[in-house]
Amino acid sequence: MGVTARYAFRSVGRNIRRSLLSILGIAIGCALALTIESMNRGRDELFARVGAESGTGHLRVVPAGWEAQRDVRLRLADWRHDLEAARQLPGVTIATPRARAQVLLAMGTHTVPVELTGVDPEAEPRAFRFVRNVTQGRYLRAGDHDAMVVGKAVAERLDATVGDEILATCVGRGGRIESTMLQIVGVIATGNDEADAGISQVTLADIEQLADRAGAGEITIVVANWRHTDALRAELAPRVAATDEVVTWAQLAPDLRGHISQDQATSRFVSGIMIVIVVLGVASAQLAAVLDRRRELAVLAALGAGTWRLARIMIEEALILGLIGAAIGLAIGLPIVWYLAHTGLDLRSLMGGSWSFEGMIIEPIIYGDFGPWILPYVLVVAIGATLIASLYPAWFTARTDPAIALRAAP
Amino acid sequence: MTELVVTCRGVEKTFKTGAHEVRALRGVDLEIGPGEFVALVGPSGSGKTTLLNLLGALDRPTRGELVVLGQRLGMLSKRARADMRLRSIGFVFQAYNLVPVLTAVENVEFVLELQGMSGRARRARAIQTLEELGLGDVLHRRPRELSGGQQQRVAVARAVASRPRLVLADEPTANLDGENAEILMHLMRDLRDRYGMTYLFSTHDARVVTHAVRVVTLVDGRVASDVAKPEELPHEIVPGVGKPPERAAVT
Repeated sequence: MGVTARYAFRSVGRNIRRSLLSILGIAIGCALALTIESMNRGRDELFARVGAESGTGHLRVVPAGWEAQRDVRLRLADWRHDLEAARQLPGVTIATPRARAQVLLAMGTHTVPVELTGVDPEAEPRAFRFVRNVTQGRYLRAGDHDAMVVGKAVAERLDATVGDEILATCVGRGGRIESTMLQIVGVIATGNDEADAGISQVTLADIEQLADRAGAGEITIVVANWRHTDALRAELAPRVAATDEVVTWAQLAPDLRGHISQDQATSRFVSGIMIVIVVLGVASAQLAAVLDRRRELAVLAALGAGTWRLARIMIEEALILGLIGAAIGLAIGLPIVWYLAHTGLDLRSLMGGSWSFEGMIIEPIIYGDFGPWILPYVLVVAIGATLIASLYPAWFTARTDPAIALRAAP
Repeated sequence: MTELVVTCRGVEKTFKTGAHEVRALRGVDLEIGPGEFVALVGPSGSGKTTLLNLLGALDRPTRGELVVLGQRLGMLSKRARADMRLRSIGFVFQAYNLVPVLTAVENVEFVLELQGMSGRARRARAIQTLEELGLGDVLHRRPRELSGGQQQRVAVARAVASRPRLVLADEPTANLDGENAEILMHLMRDLRDRYGMTYLFSTHDARVVTHAVRVVTLVDGRVASDVAKPEELPHEIVPGVGKPPERAAVT
């Protein structure tokens, strides 16, 4: 270690109370910023996962023109090929085909318009977690014919229960009215009326027959790590049928994407304010240190220490404070983040049992993210903040008039 | 012809303090050759420190020509003046001005590191210089653990370790007792003899003046006398040195 570095290191210990307060400020700032970032990431992950498992998926293969029209009558060019391509892609947890139709359900004097979804009964529950909550009867099975599961809200509006037969009517190809009788085999209760009202499912074969349109209208894909969505989309796009397209959850649910972005911006603004407060605190302490040592720094200037060397001394001192602050910030922040990642932040008292957004049920316990990003994040925050904080004191030091060394009284 | 170390021609320096102007130097003419051991004397406020600041490239003259070691100081940039201070000029301050968090050897090393000397070489040079000044047993003590005399010797070591051609000292013995002042002056002369450095030091101390081979007297910002022998100095300038006032020849 050079003499200049030793000088900077020992200078930090000169006014131990001031240095400790600066370090504490950096440490607390880092720990808070780390906690906020962890919750921010955890909430993003939660929204993305909930969105995906609420039926949207992380990726979806759709027919050409679907994104502009959002027409449920459109069908994929070669859905079996697309499904196989998606299932073979590493990082894909589940890929499931679906076809949709606008249907009017009727029983007795009750009618309910729904978007009836034809699904693969074996794959669907892994992609759409709500349908696992069958409270009456059972879920669909492969080989079922004219069988239907509905959400509790749909069943209540139809005044129907398991075993009842429902008349399903829709507009088929060429404007023909197509009808069939479907038997309710299961009722699903998610605990959220908005979500329940969106659940009406039959097998893919039944909807092909009812709507008189062959094939699937989409392949919904859930991936293991939602942060890899864009990369997987790029990988899958050339493998699907030529006219079919791959879209991401952000395109499928732009409102959700916007909500996440807004939340991120708010959290980062709060983190930014905290970091600015830390920067001002450290800058103030550093400036006080410079003013205390004005004569000494003037002597160094008189001995030939140039502008950059003097500034460097201040920057090195700030870096030492920043590194110690980062270490203590990690020591404070890691247990908090670990706790939040494992136990979570329980918002049930604020939100009740659950919270729905755009038909998705958001869990009331938000878990923080605990990952390898933590160390670089804390180092960047602590060192970045202290470097910025040291700029003014360094500039002030660099302007030291060396004549002070000779002029000032001993 | 030997190149002069210092050449001042009509050097003036004016300070503005609020609405007032203080003319610290009013046209100083001075030449100092290589290896000279010159004392700068004069009453308080006569401009000694101001002249040292100018010669040490710490400040710029308001008027006049100032050439140190062949460089016109008035023309140099801030960076060039800092570089000149680092490589060619050594400073000894009245109040020692050692860095309190560094040991004696580190204080000396600091300047050598600024010069870019490598770790081992600078440590060896710093130790050698401190040993030459009789400080071999206090190398690793911090300034607060040293006596005033030892601190000033460390300050001298710091000034001369890089073997500058010009050493400027502002009242180097002001805070020392008689014995330590004598020791310091002997050591400074010894270093001058060994390394051929040129010394210019301001002082009020009669004991110190007797060591000089040339004494320049400043009064009211002008050179009032410039004598080669201290005993020829006017008595009223530095009491205890020189002939009675009535026999003095003040120029």
